[in-house]
Amino acid sequence: MKKSFVIKRIIYAIFIFFVVLTLNFFIPRLGVDDPAERYYPPQGNMSEIEYEIVKQVTREQYGFDVSTFEQYINYVEGLFNFDLGVSFQSGNPRVVDLIAERLPWTLVLSVSNLVISLCIGLVFGTIAAWKRGRWQDTTLLNLSTISVALPAFFIALILSFYFGFELELFPAYTNPNMVSNFDWSFEAIKVVLYNAALPIISMSIGGIIGYAQRTRNSVIAVTNEDFILTARAKGLSQRRVLFKHTLRNAMLPIVTAVGMSLSGLIGGAVVIEQIFNWNGMGTLFLEANNTNDYPLMMGIMLFMSTIAILANLLVELTYSLLDPRITVGEKR
Amino acid sequence: MKKIGLKVKDFFLGILEFIKKIWQHPKGKIGLIFICFLFVLAIFAPIIAPYNPYDVTERAAKGLSPSWEHLLGTTITTGQDIFSMLIYGTRVSLLVGLITGIAIAFLGAILGIIAGYIGGMADNLIMRIVDVMLVIPTLPLTIVITNLFGKSYFIIVLIFVVFGWTGLARVIRSLVLVLKNSNYVKAAELAGASRWHIMTKHILPGVSHLLIMNTALTCAGIMVAEAGLSFLGLGDPTAISWGKMLADAQSGGALLFGHWWWIIAPGIGIFIAVFSFMRIGLVMEEILNPRMKASSNIFKLFKTLNNTYIQEVFDKMDENSLNDEVAKGEI
Repeated sequence: MKKSFVIKRIIYAIFIFFVVLTLNFFIPRLGVDDPAERYYPPQGNMSEIEYEIVKQVTREQYGFDVSTFEQYINYVEGLFNFDLGVSFQSGNPRVVDLIAERLPWTLVLSVSNLVISLCIGLVFGTIAAWKRGRWQDTTLLNLSTISVALPAFFIALILSFYFGFELELFPAYTNPNMVSNFDWSFEAIKVVLYNAALPIISMSIGGIIGYAQRTRNSVIAVTNEDFILTARAKGLSQRRVLFKHTLRNAMLPIVTAVGMSLSGLIGGAVVIEQIFNWNGMGTLFLEANNTNDYPLMMGIMLFMSTIAILANLLVELTYSLLDPRITVGEKR
Repeated sequence: MKKIGLKVKDFFLGILEFIKKIWQHPKGKIGLIFICFLFVLAIFAPIIAPYNPYDVTERAAKGLSPSWEHLLGTTITTGQDIFSMLIYGTRVSLLVGLITGIAIAFLGAILGIIAGYIGGMADNLIMRIVDVMLVIPTLPLTIVITNLFGKSYFIIVLIFVVFGWTGLARVIRSLVLVLKNSNYVKAAELAGASRWHIMTKHILPGVSHLLIMNTALTCAGIMVAEAGLSFLGLGDPTAISWGKMLADAQSGGALLFGHWWWIIAPGIGIFIAVFSFMRIGLVMEEILNPRMKASSNIFKLFKTLNNTYIQEVFDKMDENSLNDEVAKGEI
């Protein structure tokens, strides 16, 4: 991998970060004349003058008393100290703390979803490609059309209805004590897994089929390549051709797909979290939206974009690592 | 005038011909039937629906189970007829899906062709915008914008279009880059054709198969996304949509009281709409581009996108594996 290429990519990622940062800062402010008024709507029992005073106090408290541009500078300065400002919630917790508190709970869902989808999907996809044209393959093909048309939140509703309410096997709503009582003991982990079962299953059904389909197509595309024919012609065993030649070369699209899905790790489960009342980033964002909590919303959006930028960077660098000749950026 | 009339006639005849081809395709028939069925439901909803789904005053008929009078029962909270709601829900899904799909096709085609063919500054600018768009989290931004400008399907379509064109533009651009170096485009350039002429007469027809197929698939994807947004309560609160029906069912206690039909019904609506559009998209692709018949379209899109890179990797690995084998003395 060329060093200059890596540095170029990193500098470009930083540039994108600042563009996104600026957009994140200004878009939520588009329709808002006075943030203080949004935060503290006019009350009936308050006179004009009293309301002005309340607004003034609010402005000073949250740093709205300077011009928008100065606020922007302050925000960027704060970023260097990993400070995303304070939330409007009672007690004014720091946005960073709120995100740090909820992040692990979202990761529990999204990482296990990714791992499960990838592992099972790879196996299914390879089997389908191996048994090309037979029932395993056609089943996968039909399932993949069906799974796109069945949104994950619909599957989640059905699962929570059947397993949560009818059979009462799994909790349909997350136990709120799960988060507050968590202490890394075996019991606590068991409770988390018990509560996370339905959300993870409903998310990973689509994921498994998606990765399986991708793997199958990729493997078949590689099988059609001449070098596989060469390997077969040399008299290598089927098994050896599959594992040593085909699968290894078929991994590139899968690696890209995984890299791309990394950006969805944080924000990909908003609806699922909402259905199961899971206390993750998605529900945090919805709460922030309901209370007009702009610093919190901006913080979460910036966090998600940063993850996406890093994921894209990772994909690009992995590409050039897989083949040093591909210096993607210079090809443009 | 006569010429324009002829052109319009040709256009409609062409579309008819195309629909006939889809109909004759073994997989296309079912998709076409479903889509026609949905369109009929959407257009004649007031005639077909047995009750007025907006009527929330039926206090006596709350939470009824399916019967001949109410085919899918009534809602627990307001006593609306679920079957009528299901029929009216077709309207929002089709409207949002089609408008967004067509708008994305236009925007993606224009920007993709400009980026690919003209290149230089324009290409740089468009691709940098794509890079930024790709990392902005769409759902949170949608939530913020609907919060600021009010909840309506107009805003939702606008956001879908603004954030949806990037993928298509990328794919079109990479295809245009290939076409640009083809002999017939080179010949047209040498003959002194203007850029505009080449872009509309030579490049556009070359990417049209991708566009048409992509529009059908985008429609399908947007319908799912719309259902998700409506489910989160970001759609027009007064309209009836399948996503909102699901949200109502969840908050209205359908799960608790075991009214499974209230959940299944909108789900099947979403399923049929998305499934038929996807089917049509895949069939269109097979008709327009018979060379790519073998594998599924998602991979094909991906492959067109990264065709050059993948090809290079394969070539390289081909060389490598051969060299390895030679070095090991296996050949």
